[in-house]
Formats: sequence, structure tokens, C-alpha cells
Amino acid sequence: MPSVESILCGLASDRATGALRLGRSGTFYLTEGRVTYAETPACPRVEELLTSSGRISAYAVRQARQAAGEECWGGDRLVQRGVLTRGELEFCVLGAVLDAVFFLFQVSGSRPRFRPEERHWLGPQWYFDVTGLLRESKRRRAQLDQAWPSPELDALPVVPIGRIPAQRVLLTSLQWEVLVGADCTATPADLARKLGRPAYSVLLAVRQLAAAGLLRTPEHDRESAPATPPAAPRPAPATPPAAPRPAPSPALPARRPDDVPAPLPRRGDGTREKIPSHDAGAPSPAAGWMPRTTGDPADVSLLIRLRNALEALT
Amino acid sequence: MLGIEECLTEVMAIPGALDAILIDQTSGMAVAIGGGSRQVDTEKSAAGLSEALRATLDGLAVTSPTGTVRIRDMIVTTDEGHHLLRPLETVFDGPLAIYVRLDLERANLALALHRLQLLSGRLITT
Repeated sequence: MPSVESILCGLASDRATGALRLGRSGTFYLTEGRVTYAETPACPRVEELLTSSGRISAYAVRQARQAAGEECWGGDRLVQRGVLTRGELEFCVLGAVLDAVFFLFQVSGSRPRFRPEERHWLGPQWYFDVTGLLRESKRRRAQLDQAWPSPELDALPVVPIGRIPAQRVLLTSLQWEVLVGADCTATPADLARKLGRPAYSVLLAVRQLAAAGLLRTPEHDRESAPATPPAAPRPAPATPPAAPRPAPSPALPARRPDDVPAPLPRRGDGTREKIPSHDAGAPSPAAGWMPRTTGDPADVSLLIRLRNALEALT
Repeated sequence: MLGIEECLTEVMAIPGALDAILIDQTSGMAVAIGGGSRQVDTEKSAAGLSEALRATLDGLAVTSPTGTVRIRDMIVTTDEGHHLLRPLETVFDGPLAIYVRLDLERANLALALHRLQLLSGRLITT
């Protein structure tokens, strides 16, 4: 079966006019050998881009579509009605065609059928050479692979990770839109339609976000499945509160011997013993004890456990 | 009512304009060109210019006190001439940018900037 590319190149050299249908995967529209429109269910169409921008109502687009014909194409009608400028319509078609063509060149398995003279309601707004489109698609594919070489996230729901392994991130405006629009169920193609942005641009943004480590990848899930070990060490950092807990308990007896020997030599001092114990001796053990019992919650819980144990004894 | 081709024709009418390109920043593709005789490869220039714009945005975003950046015009003057790059903000995400190279001697930078602003305003009505 000849490839889509070779069929298109053949139609281009024949200066053909009509529609090349790739089954359910989409359609190329040609005017005298040049591509004037292309659409695929994988990408937002011009109608969707126009209406999701908020500039034109779906009703106005439908009207222009129904009234379209050889003598006045739908696109020209929209421009004449002043809802958008010629430049804007051209931008919109330009974006939509480049987007659709990128995905259409990857289609395989559907039998292409050419229908001569079939036209798109918008009419020709911009003419693309087939060779130029092929070159552009190749460049886009290279750019996608350069951003993040794996296609594993392309068809999965976009799930931003809760906490990022960085202090600061730099985002493009589209990456921002993708993150804000991500609802953990929408795939890049769904997001493109929701945001009214080209599917390729959204895909590129998703791969860039993945490369920056901001998205959950299947690898993440594979890691978090045996992440019960990483999850177990996490309670372990939670045990440092438990680790200080044993620490004070040796510390408590340690202090007592400290405090006990201190009075002992004083006692040996004889009569002076009373004066330091009341004036200088008393504040020092108090200063040593008070912060320990009030400052650390571990000490409080230790005291509570101690009290409970003593109560249980009685 | 201005289309892309007419817009580029008018860009080339700016005094001192040597050549002009409309660039799709998505992949750095030259969408349309103005000014017939270019010595350099248009495709390569478009890719390089869009890369320059991207790098500048990245650099300025880090430098700016708010951490966000929106370039209105980028002007680079080299030994050969002035290079003007203006991102177009369309409601339909291109994103596109107009580039024009101006003669160092003949061009008036302020006038060129002003004309480019007017043109992009007529191209897009937002």
C-alpha cells in the first residue's frame, strides 16, 4: 500500500483538486496540487479554534458553513461579516493545518481514497506545498523527541505531581495552561480541545513538563508500587521524634547523677552547703529542668507514660 | 482588512527594510517571507530567530523582578543592521512573530517600531 506521503506527492504533481480521505483518521483538502486544509479527530478543527477563542459563536460558524459555496467560501463570509480579520483567519487555518498534518502523516493502516472536486467549506485561505509540510512535520517530530524522547505520556492523562523536586520552575504560558487545565483524566489531546490550542503544541508542552519532572509518569507508578520501601523509610524519618524519646530517658538518669554529685561535694563543704543550695544551687537545677520538661513534647509524653505506669502499679 | 501577505508587503515598505519573515514559533518555521533576494537560508534564519526569542524570554524571566516576562519588541543592532522581532499575540495560538531586518544607515528605528506596531494592530483586532 503506498504511503500517505507518496500519494500526496503524486496528487501535488498532478495539480489535483479534491479531498484525500484517510478513513476515519482525517482528510487532506487540496487545491490545484497544494494543501489548503487538513483535519483529524486528534486535533481541534478550525471551527473549534474559532469558537473556543470566544470571538465567534458556534451559531455564526454554522451559518457561514451552511451558506458556503463556490461563489463565496465560508472563510470569506466570516471575514466579510467582520467577526475576524483576514490575518486572523489565515493564522487560524495555518495553525490548524500544520497541527492536523503532523498527526495525519503518522496515520497508517487506513486506505486513502481521493475524491476529486470535494472542497472544504472554508475555502482556500492559505496554500501549503506538500514538500514544505513534510519538512515541517519532520522538524516537529525531531523537536518532540528532543524535548522528551519517550512517547509513553502522549496518550495518558496528564497528572501534575503534587510536590516538585525543585525550589523554582520557569513555565511558558502554554505549559501554565496545561497545568491549570489538567484534571488527572484529560489526555494531551483532550486538553488541546479544552484549551482551544493546537494538539501538537500541547503535546510538546506535556513532554517538556515531563522532562522537567513536573508530571507523573508510569515510571513513577512503577517506583511507587515498590514505594512501600520508600514509604517505610518515610515513617522512619517520623521516628526521629521516637529516637529523641529514648535519648531523654538516658539523659534523665544522666542528669540526676550529675546533679546528685554536685550537692555531694557541697555537702562536704560543711556550713556553706545551705547557702549555695538555696541561693545559687537551687536556680541552676531549676534552669536545667524547666526547659526540658516544657520544651520537648517527647518529654511530656514520657511523663504521661510514666504517670500512667505508676497509676497502673497502685 | 489585512492578510499575512499584505502585511509582509507593508513591512517591506518600512524605510530601510531589507527582508522580513513571519515565523511560527512552535517549531521555528518560516510561514511567509517578504523581500525577494535573500542571501541566507530563510528556513534556517526562522529557526535561529525563534530560538533567539525563546532564549531571551528564558533569560529575561529569570532576570525580571516578578519572574514573568512578555516581550513586545526585541531589537538587536549588529554591524550589519537592526533586527526587529515582534511576537504577535493572536487569540489563535500560533504563536507567531514578525521579523524585519533594517539597513543600519537608511533606517529610522523609532519609525520602524511604530510602523510595525500599527501593522500588527491591523493584522489582529483584539
